[in-house]
This record gives sequence, structure tokens and C-alpha cells, in this order.
Amino acid sequence: MIRLDNISKRYPSGLEALKRVSLELDAGEMTFLTGPSGAGKSTLLKLLMLVERPSSGALLINGKNINRLSRSAIPGYRRQIGVVFQNHQLLSDRTVFDNVALPLLICGYSPVETGRRVRAALDSVGLLQKEKNYPLTLSGGEQQRVGIARAVVHKPKILLADEPTGNLDPQLSSEIMALFRRFQHVGVTVLIATHDIDLINQLNHRIIRLDDGRLSEGDNHAQ
Amino acid sequence: MHSERGGKPTSVRGARDQKLKLSDRWHSYTSHHKTTFRDAFKKMIFEPAQTLMTVMVIAIALALPSALLLALQNVQQLGGGIEASSQLTVYVNKQAEAPQIKKLQQQISALPGVAAIDYISSDQALVEFEELSGFGQALQYLDDNPLPAAFVVKPDSLSVSAHAKDLVVALQSFDYVSEVQVDMLWLERLSAMTDIGKKLVLAIGLAFVAGVVLVIGNTIRLSIENRKEEIIVVKLIGATDAYVRRPFLYSGFLLGFFGGLNASVLLLVGSFWIGQSVTSLVALYSSGYSVIGLNVTGVLGLCMVGSMIGLCGAWLAVMQHLRAIQPR
Repeated sequence: MIRLDNISKRYPSGLEALKRVSLELDAGEMTFLTGPSGAGKSTLLKLLMLVERPSSGALLINGKNINRLSRSAIPGYRRQIGVVFQNHQLLSDRTVFDNVALPLLICGYSPVETGRRVRAALDSVGLLQKEKNYPLTLSGGEQQRVGIARAVVHKPKILLADEPTGNLDPQLSSEIMALFRRFQHVGVTVLIATHDIDLINQLNHRIIRLDDGRLSEGDNHAQ
Repeated sequence: MHSERGGKPTSVRGARDQKLKLSDRWHSYTSHHKTTFRDAFKKMIFEPAQTLMTVMVIAIALALPSALLLALQNVQQLGGGIEASSQLTVYVNKQAEAPQIKKLQQQISALPGVAAIDYISSDQALVEFEELSGFGQALQYLDDNPLPAAFVVKPDSLSVSAHAKDLVVALQSFDYVSEVQVDMLWLERLSAMTDIGKKLVLAIGLAFVAGVVLVIGNTIRLSIENRKEEIIVVKLIGATDAYVRRPFLYSGFLLGFFGGLNASVLLLVGSFWIGQSVTSLVALYSSGYSVIGLNVTGVLGLCMVGSMIGLCGAWLAVMQHLRAIQPR
């Protein structure tokens, strides 16, 4: 599903964030991406979101090299992935419903279909009663769940999450993780960047460890 | 391989669900246009002071050149009214006797381009002069009537053209014609002046239009800055450039439209106000002249021009600033 082939990323500042990283994620797999701050976790996610382009190497999604995508093809690619951000990235001037509906609006769903899907997504994160609330009236955990609902409302094949439990207590964190597992169970490929080692050790999933831009021994995929 | 760890995927959904019917896409495209339009309108109303100021700046900038254009049209109409009644006065030599005068009258009538001809004998001229000038008493001291007889010739062509000059030459060539007086020279000057006026209005108009484009461009630039976060989020979710651009283009369009509408109101009020004074002035001259105001076409034209300028200004701002806002 996702394949990185000798990916390197060097920023204009000279910082080499990723050094010849190669890895492969299968469809329907849930994987944790971990490592200390500055190890290249965010850079890897940015490459997958096409926010940044790799300096060298090939990045294949579903067998297609996305490095070759033109600027105008980026929106279409991004619609196929769902992203959960650390700081939620919710629009504070719109209700929970409108926030979650945003990807569907962009994709061009009819209002009826949009309503149906938004409610289904909010239901799956347990926030159906809060659809008319504004994000700032919700707790941190609830905001993150709205972010997740928005990331999955258009049923993406790939779900990326950048520190989704960054500001949450352990109880809420494991609730969020349980949510991600539910999506994985319906066939979504999930990649979660986190440094919450305790949490991921509780869960029995593949772990990819990045250290100073290199894959370290941590990849227990082959074990 | 590792499915026992992560749980087996039950189905691979997603790809199928991405496919949308064309009719659905069209429907939601149009409905997005509607919502964007409504949102842009709401945003304007949400900041009334800001909106009103921008709209009034646009309105004034559009109203000024339009007012000049209207003034110019009025001057032209005034000139046209006089042109239509413009005439040539052919003074007859004092030596001419009745038969010669009659012959001259026939000759003038036969000329091409002569619409009407009127004979004023020297006696009639004297009576008229006495009545109009108030020098009647003084004239009685003269032995002789100093005024010549004259023909008042009305040309049929309304314009001051080469044709009228031919007429003058022809009239001068007749016997017993002492002088042909043309009242058309100042009309030529007026027409030359209005030509200059037109060019001036065009130049001023273009300058103001450029100003309006910049004003709207700047307003849109500010609102792009204000919504930077939102733009980044929707771009990350997969919004196309067109999608991101749309609300700003609508804002510019609406600002321009309301600017045009307000410019029309300013002009209507202004021409009504000035028109009243002109009407009373015209009444004193007992002339049928009436002020040309702004008509329906003018109002529609102003709204349309405003909208187009708004769209251009917004486009300029969007092209310049939207591309620079990218997720980091």
C-alpha cells in the first residue's frame, strides 16, 4: 500500500531529516512510527501528505509513484488519505458538523449524502450529540475525536496521524487508539506517529523506529 | 504474515466509495457555489463598518468619472440643441431693389442643403432692433434706416460640416450679398472641446478603475491573511485551488457590485439635486432643455462594471497571495 524506496529528505537549511529510508506498509496494516523528537517522523508524514517532496528516492502509494504527481494532482491525492493532526486543525468558526463535513464538501458529495456520512462518522467517535457545538466548547479529547471523524468521513484508504494523543491523558489516549483499531479493522491502512512508548507497548502492532533520520532496529515487522 | 497481530481487514473499502455520479458532482458543485456566495454575503454583513467603507470608496471612485461623463453628455446635448437651430444670416447689399431681392430669394431657396429661408426687410429689422435693444429713441435721430435687409437661412444638415461651409461659399458668390454671417464657429470649438473632454474623462476613468482594482485587491488580500489557517486546513484536506479561490472571488464580485450600485445612487441623487437648479435656470431662458440623468442602462452598466472590476481585483490578490499559502 505504502512503499518508501531509499527516501532521503534534505531541507534547504541543510538539515537531512531522512536518510535512505526504505519500508513497506501493507494494506489494512496498523503501524506506529516512533523515535525521539527530530528523528524525522513528521517529515515522513509530510512526504506522505505531499506537503514536502523527497530529495531522492521513490514514494509509492498503491504502486503509483506520487513524486511524479503535478501540483494540480495534489488535491485529488490528498482526498484519498485521511490525516489526524496533533493540534486538531479544526476551524473554530464552524460547528462540529461543518468541520467534519469539510472533506465531503471538497469532494463534492450531495447534502443528503454528506449529512448521512457526517453523522455516521460522528457516531463512530461517539460525538453525535455534539454536532451543533463549536470546537472550542469541547474538551481536548473531544476535539481530537472530531479531528478523527473528519479524517475518516470520506472513507480514505490510508489514515495518517501525527501525535494524535500528544496532549491527552492515558485514559483518553487508549480510547483514541481503540478508535484507530476500529478503522484498521475495516481495512484502512493506519500509520500513527507518536513518542508515547508506554501506549504503543501495550498494543500489539508493528513499530517502526526512526533515529536521526534512519530506520533503527526497532522495526519488528520481520520478527 | 502479521495479521494475527493487527486483526484481519474485513474488506477493502474506500476506492469504490470515492466514485461519485456526475450528476451528484454537478449538483454539489452548484450548491457549493450557492453556499460560497451566501457565505461571502454573510461575511460582508458581519463586518458592516469595514464593508461599508470599502463599498463607499469604490462607489465614489466609480461615481466621479461617471459624473464627468454625464456632464459631458449634457454639454453635448446643449450643443446639439443649438446646432439644430443654428442658422446663417445673409445680409443684403443696400443697393438691392425689390426685384433683385426677390431673385436672390429664389436663388437661395434653390441651393441644396437649405431647409428654410426667412426674409427680414430693413424696416422689420429696425422694428425688431427698437424693441429688443432699447435704443429706439436714439434711432429716431438717424435720417436713414442703417440696418440692411437680411435672409435668415436654416441649413437642413444638423451638423457643422463641410457641407455648411459649401453653403456659405455659394451664398457669398451671389450678387447683392454683402455679408454671410456664420454662427457655427463656436460650435466647432465646442465640439473640439468636448472631444478633449471625452479623452480626459476616459483617462480619469481608467485611473479610477485602476484605483478600485487596487482597493478591492487590498481588501481581499487582508481577508486572505485573516483566513490563512482555514486555507491551510482545507488545502491539507484536498481542496483544489479553485475551491480555495472561490469565496474570495465572490467577495470581490460583491464588493464591486455594491460599489457600482452605490455609485448609481450617488449619481441619481446628485443629478436630481443639480437638475432642479438647471430646470429653474432653463425656465428663465424658456428653453426645452432638460438634464440627462442616469437611466436604467446606466445603473445596470455601473453595477456590471463594478462587479467586473471587483472580480479582477480579487483575482489579482488571489493569484498573488493564495499560492504562497501552503501547508508546512
